Amino acid sequence: MSSPDAEIWPLAVFTLMVLVLVITMLLMSWLLGQRRREDATNEPFESGIVSVGNSQIRISVEFYLVAIFFVIFDLETVFIFAWAVAFFELGWHGYIAMLIFIGVLTVALVYEWRNGALDWGSKVRVGLKEAQTLEAQQATHL
Amino acid sequence: MLEVVLFYIASAVALLATILAMTRANAIHALIYLIISLLAVAVIFFLIGAPFAAALEIVIYAGAIMVLFVFVIMMLNLGERGDARERQWLQPKIWFGPAILSAVLLAEIVYLMGTVQGPATVGIVTPKAVGLALFGPYVVAVELAAMLLLAGLVGSYHLGRRALERRH
Amino acid sequence: MVEWTPVLLALGILLGGVAGAAILTWWERRLLGFWQDRHGPNRIGPWGIGLVVADMIKLLLKDDWVPPFADRAVFIFAPTAIVVSMMMGFAVVPFAPDMQIVDLNIGLLFFLGMTSLAVYSVLLGGLASNNKYALLGGLRSASQMVSYEVFMGLSLMGVVMMSGSFSLVDIVAAQSDVWFCFSQVLGLLVFVVAGIAESHRLPFDLPEAEHELTAGFHTEYGGMKFAMFMLGEYLGLMLISCMIVTLFFGGWMGPDLLNEWLPPIIWFAIKIFFVINFFILLRAAIPRPRYDQLMSLGWKIMLPITLFNLVVTGGVLLWIEETV
Repeated sequence: MSSPDAEIWPLAVFTLMVLVLVITMLLMSWLLGQRRREDATNEPFESGIVSVGNSQIRISVEFYLVAIFFVIFDLETVFIFAWAVAFFELGWHGYIAMLIFIGVLTVALVYEWRNGALDWGSKVRVGLKEAQTLEAQQATHL
Repeated sequence: MLEVVLFYIASAVALLATILAMTRANAIHALIYLIISLLAVAVIFFLIGAPFAAALEIVIYAGAIMVLFVFVIMMLNLGERGDARERQWLQPKIWFGPAILSAVLLAEIVYLMGTVQGPATVGIVTPKAVGLALFGPYVVAVELAAMLLLAGLVGSYHLGRRALERRH
Repeated sequence: MVEWTPVLLALGILLGGVAGAAILTWWERRLLGFWQDRHGPNRIGPWGIGLVVADMIKLLLKDDWVPPFADRAVFIFAPTAIVVSMMMGFAVVPFAPDMQIVDLNIGLLFFLGMTSLAVYSVLLGGLASNNKYALLGGLRSASQMVSYEVFMGLSLMGVVMMSGSFSLVDIVAAQSDVWFCFSQVLGLLVFVVAGIAESHRLPFDLPEAEHELTAGFHTEYGGMKFAMFMLGEYLGLMLISCMIVTLFFGGWMGPDLLNEWLPPIIWFAIKIFFVINFFILLRAAIPRPRYDQLMSLGWKIMLPITLFNLVVTGGVLLWIEETV
C-alpha cells in the first residue's frame, strides 16, 4: 500500500543530483573540448551544399493539425485516467458513463478518419469516378 | 518543514518564471519560462496535497498545450521580425494601463486573503477520490466535456482544412 | 535524521544510467553485428568493450561548438531537457521492495508526464539550430512523439483498472498471482510500439532519417551536446524497459516457483536485460516505415486497438466480479 504522505525528500535530492550531472557534463565538455575554426565551421550544415536563404520556411499545416488533435485527445485520456483508477468502486454506472464518453471519442475519430484528416500528404479527396475520368483525359492527351 | 521550504522555492520559481515569460521579446524564450512556471505550479499542487492535479498540470499544460504553442511558433517561424514586433509591443505605454488595473485586483486579493477565512484544509485528494467525484456526482459534466472536445476537434479540423485547400 | 540509503540509490541510478547507456551503445552494435553476420566493434580491448571508454574520451574532447546562427541559450537547453526528464522518470521505478526513490501515488502519471516533457528537447533543438534539416526533423519527430503519446497512456489504463492505483508498488503487488502480460496482451503490444516511437529508436527513427534529413533535429549538434541527445535516447530505452517489466512482467518478482532462488533486484535486472535485447532485435529485424505510414499506424490502428482494449477489459472485469 502506498502511503499518501510518502517521503518526498529523496525526490528533491534526486532532482538536484540530476541537474548537477547535466551541468557537469556541459562544463566538462566546455573545458576539455578542442577549439577549431575553419572556413566552413560556422555555416549551417546542408550536406555540403552552400546554404541558401534562411530556415524560415513554410511548413505543412498537417503538423499543426496533429498537434491540436493531440491536445484534444490528451484531454480525453485524462478523463479515462480518472475513471480507470476508481474502476471497481464506480462499477457498472461508471462503465456505462465511460462507454458513452468513449463513444463520443470514437465519433470524433471516425469523423476525422472519413474526412481524411488523419491521412498525411494530399488532402484532396478524389472519388473513384473523378479519378478514372482524370486518367482517361490524361491518356487521350498523350 | 521540508515541505514549507520546497513550497517557497517553487513559488519563487513560479513568480520569477512568469515575470520573465511576460517580459521576453523572443517567443520561444518566453514559452520556456512559461513551461518552467507551469512545472513550478505542479510542484506546488503536489505539496499542498493535490497529486492528481499536479500530474495533470504536467501532462496537460506543460506536456500538451505548451507543445501546441511551440508548434504554432514553429509554423509561424517569424525569427527576428517577430522579436522586433514584440519589442515594439512591450513598450511601457502599452502595458501601463493593464498593469495598473491588475495591480488593483492584486491589492484586493491580498486584502481578502488577510481578512476572510478560507476553507479548512481538506488534506490529500487522492486520484481515486477525483475519479469517484468525476464519474459520480459530476458525470453529466464529463459527458458535456466530451461533447465540447468533439466540437473543438471538428472546428479545428475545418479551420486547418481551409489552409490545406488554399495550398492545393 | 537523514537516511543515506535513498541518496546512495540516487547516486546508483545516475551512475547506472550513464554507464548503462554507454555500455548499451557497444552492446547494441555487438548484437547487431552478430545478427547481421558481421563483426561489429571488436578492436579495443576484449570483444571491443574498450570502445565504450574511447567513445567517452572522444566525446569529451570534441569541440563544444554553438553555431553562431543558432539561438544560443535554447540550443544549450534543448539536450539537457531530454536527459533531465528521462532521468527523473527513474525516480518512480521500484527496482526491488523498498528500493525506490519515491513511491508516489501518481507514480505512473509522473512517468507519463516526464516522457511528455521529452518532446521539448527535439522541438527546441530543431528550432534553435536555425537549420532547415533540423527544423523539419524536429517537427517530424515531435509530431511522431505526440501522436504516440496519446495512446501510450491509454494502453496502461487496463493495468491501472486491475490494480486500482497509479502507484507502481501497488501495481507490482497486484501481479503477485498473474503477471499482467497475460491479461493485458493488447495493452502490452501497444505500449511496446508507443515506447519505441517515444524514444524514437529504429524502426521508428524517422526524425533522424539519415536518408533525407541527415540527422534530423540534432544535425547541428556535436560533441557532448550530441552525446546528451544519445544519452537521452538510451535512457529512454532503459526507462521504457523498466516500465514494461514493472507494469506487465511482475517487476521484481520472479516466476512463482523460482522466486526464492534469486534476490528481487536480480530478477528485475534479468527481465530488463531480456526486454532491452528484444528492442535491439526489433531494430535488427524490422525495416523503417514511411512517415505517413507511421502516422496512420498510430492514429488508425493503435488508437482504436487501445480503446477496444479498454472497453473489453472493463466489461470483462466487471462481469467476473459480479459472477464470482
